[in-house]
Amino acid sequence: MRQFIISILLLILAVSGCKINDPIIPNEEEVITTIRYTLTTQVGTSPVIFEFRDIDGDGGLPPVYTESDLKPNTTYEGRLELLNEQETPAGDITEEITEEGEAHQFFFQPSSGLNMSITYKDKDRSDRPIGLLTTIVTGASGTGQLKITLRHEPNKSAPGVADGQIAQAGGETDIEIEFVIHVQ
Amino acid sequence: MYSKITWLVLILGLSGSATMIAQNCKLTLKGRISDESTGIPLQYATILIKETQQGEVADSLGLFVMKQLCPGRYHLSISHLEGENLTLYIQLNNDTTMDITLHHHAELLNEISVHGTQQQTTTQAVNSISRDEIARNANKSLTELLEKISGVQSLKSGTGISKPVIHGLYGNRITILNNGMIQSGQQWGNDHAPEIDPLLSDHISVVKGAAALAFGGNGLGSVVMIENNAIDADPHLHGQANYVYQTNGRGHTANLKMQQALPQLAWKLSGTLKYQGDQQAPDYFLTNTGKNEQNLGFQLDKKLSGVWNMRVHASTFNTTIGVLRGAHIGNLTDLEDAIHRDRPFFTSDHFSYDLASPSQEVHHHLIKLENRWQVDKNTLWSLNIGSQVDDRKEYDVRRSGRSATPALHLRQYTQFIEGIYHHTYARDLDLKSGLQFQFINNTNFPETGVLPLIPDYQSVKPSLYTIVQKAWGKNMLEGGLRIDYQQLLAVTISKTVPRVVDRFTHHFLNASGALGYRQAISTGLNLSANAGVVYRSPEVNELYSNGLHQGVSGLEEGNPDLQSEKSIKGILSAEWNVSDRLQIQALIYDHHIRDFIYLQPLKEFRLTIRGAFPVYEYRQTDARLTGSDLLISYELKKRLKWIGKYAYVVGRDVVQRRGLVNIPSSNMQHSFNYSFKDATNFKQTNLTLTFRYMGRQRNITEDQDYLPPPDAYTMFGVELGSNIQLGNHQVKCSVQIENLLDTTYRDYLNRQRYFADEPGRNINFRIGYFF
Repeated sequence: MRQFIISILLLILAVSGCKINDPIIPNEEEVITTIRYTLTTQVGTSPVIFEFRDIDGDGGLPPVYTESDLKPNTTYEGRLELLNEQETPAGDITEEITEEGEAHQFFFQPSSGLNMSITYKDKDRSDRPIGLLTTIVTGASGTGQLKITLRHEPNKSAPGVADGQIAQAGGETDIEIEFVIHVQ
Repeated sequence: MYSKITWLVLILGLSGSATMIAQNCKLTLKGRISDESTGIPLQYATILIKETQQGEVADSLGLFVMKQLCPGRYHLSISHLEGENLTLYIQLNNDTTMDITLHHHAELLNEISVHGTQQQTTTQAVNSISRDEIARNANKSLTELLEKISGVQSLKSGTGISKPVIHGLYGNRITILNNGMIQSGQQWGNDHAPEIDPLLSDHISVVKGAAALAFGGNGLGSVVMIENNAIDADPHLHGQANYVYQTNGRGHTANLKMQQALPQLAWKLSGTLKYQGDQQAPDYFLTNTGKNEQNLGFQLDKKLSGVWNMRVHASTFNTTIGVLRGAHIGNLTDLEDAIHRDRPFFTSDHFSYDLASPSQEVHHHLIKLENRWQVDKNTLWSLNIGSQVDDRKEYDVRRSGRSATPALHLRQYTQFIEGIYHHTYARDLDLKSGLQFQFINNTNFPETGVLPLIPDYQSVKPSLYTIVQKAWGKNMLEGGLRIDYQQLLAVTISKTVPRVVDRFTHHFLNASGALGYRQAISTGLNLSANAGVVYRSPEVNELYSNGLHQGVSGLEEGNPDLQSEKSIKGILSAEWNVSDRLQIQALIYDHHIRDFIYLQPLKEFRLTIRGAFPVYEYRQTDARLTGSDLLISYELKKRLKWIGKYAYVVGRDVVQRRGLVNIPSSNMQHSFNYSFKDATNFKQTNLTLTFRYMGRQRNITEDQDYLPPPDAYTMFGVELGSNIQLGNHQVKCSVQIENLLDTTYRDYLNRQRYFADEPGRNINFRIGYFF
């Protein structure tokens, strides 16, 4: 019995002597830190860039916006790029979205006061839009917000969804950001 | 159960071995059958010798006589209308007189009994669920079983995940004791259910206490105890096999229990398998709400010397639980959408057993070694040592095939050691003193690719307690003190880049004390008063959680400056057996908690790539919980009984003058139970109608939640059960219908209420074979 108790006391010592190691910092390969919306005109002037950048992910420091002005009554070709800049070189999330096009769709919602129409220019394997490539046609001058939403696993066959209406889309939101745009 | 039944064999016959002839079939077995807790004789209890099928019925004084018996070994089956069946194994050599005590339920409803023995050994209110009741509800989770006790509700996350709420408190504020050890696991998560299979235990008790001094943990008084008894001294293999089919979810539950007391070693084994698919609300399937479970437990009892008894207890609990697909949301817009939908998004038109993301996979393993040295009649030393491993993986819907990689993977390792000294002095003065040591190591796995919400941590906690009890006449007084020291080391990863690892150490010194008094005013009336002061140190999630909590759609921020909560609780309880037909149990409590830790929504919204999220910070306030539990059992006429239960609790934040969230609304339940006359092959046939009313929670304001609490609802249920005698064996059958009217409703304490209705009608078919 004495041996039994001694061995248990030794075990207590062994257990409480454990040291806690530094945690391995997980590689957040799924994180999207940066959304870059590049708008080019057909005339060949330098592209207009809108960017949302949140290097440390949820929480931490607030995100940084880069915003520009658009010209009225102009047609722009829009291209979305999604990056994970926590990795070096930056991880290309755009590629993941293209590959899983049938499970993703971007929605573009200009607020009132912002005169523009946006149409999809790309298609997934089922011939439904993804929204990585778009065409923007601006109207009269004005100011407002453009909300860009990325839905994961939406119902892409629901009414209006292929035309860019989000109401019936469902799924869950992976991205929801707003850019302030001046058309002048 | 069996250890609760103390039986004494007194040998009266003086026939002597010389005159004993093997075939002298003239032996007499007589005795008295009485209630374990009250000592009142149980009239009309039946006693049956299984081998010979000779039976007797006890008279009005509980006495029975069986004559013309041959010497030999027999299994006796003792049963009573309102009690649990008892099987005894005896060797009959002489004329014998036995004093048999039965675990008797009459003072309460059929299903819930106050544990007689525990009632007498504490001044605190204890309610229990018996082994029969656990087996009868084999497909239910621990929390669902506990809900049968008045004053206990459950906090759910969907259909498969629930944790008990006792007197308005849950999570870390409730102590769950698994075979004497604090159940380890991520208790802080409201979507983390206790990893316990009730079928592996002999009974489950709830102590509605003011301070749980003999147990570590971090609770504020109330304790859930999952207990196993000593293995019955019967050299034959006995056991039971249970199977339940439930229509809602098309679920199968199978359980096998066996036990045997060999001369060298007594053993007990129990295994459970559960397989259940999508549950169904009245109007649609709750897609991805199935679950699988595989559990195994064993116990070994061995006498190592005249004074030394050893027990080994081990169990493994393994489950995979689906989480409603439509409840997985990305941001507040999604939550707003989900709230306004008729049926959840991703609702499939077809039933399925498939489990996809989001889901949880949890493994919990426990092993415990108990040693007891009964050095003399009044002195008992114990040394217990146990280990637990809790491994939790949570899967989310993720991009590019990452759904198969958990988004959260935690492993908690717990080591527990305690030494107890128990001594009974003259004049019923009882002293129990213990020294405990608990070590916890919690680790995140980096394969998730997600920054952990809870940091890695290590906790070391030595504790010391003493409880003194004194009984005199019809009075009992008990008091105790407990001191805990805790060192907590948290290793965090910064939220800013580049990521930095920081180490924080906290020291907490907490003292707790309790005082209780119990008096038997008259034979039928017992009054108790309890008061306790408890300190609870903040948990690691309250100190350091940092990040987006998907379940609550908010950014949760820990607060490293939190102090221990200081709780003072007073309880008055009464048990009154007004007459043979009317019994009342009533309890009121008042609970003040200073520096009550809660999540305060901040005014700011934080912008992330998924939109703006509310920020919640752990803050401290002063809280008060007041409530009462009531239970009445009344025999309306012979064989027809009414049982009424009522629970009421109000939780207030006394600083901000508003209600606390997640407090159950007042609720009541009525059951009408009719017991049929025993037929030759059908015994203890019962029909029960149940009606349960859950009020609407009106004590919280609109800004405290995304959605106002749902409306009140009423549930009906019916159950028919019988014990069928097949030769020497017994088969217990029952059919139970829950949500009889297929009512559509939502419950305030279910997080799924934002997304979907509660399950609709369910029929449970149960068959149990006893051998």
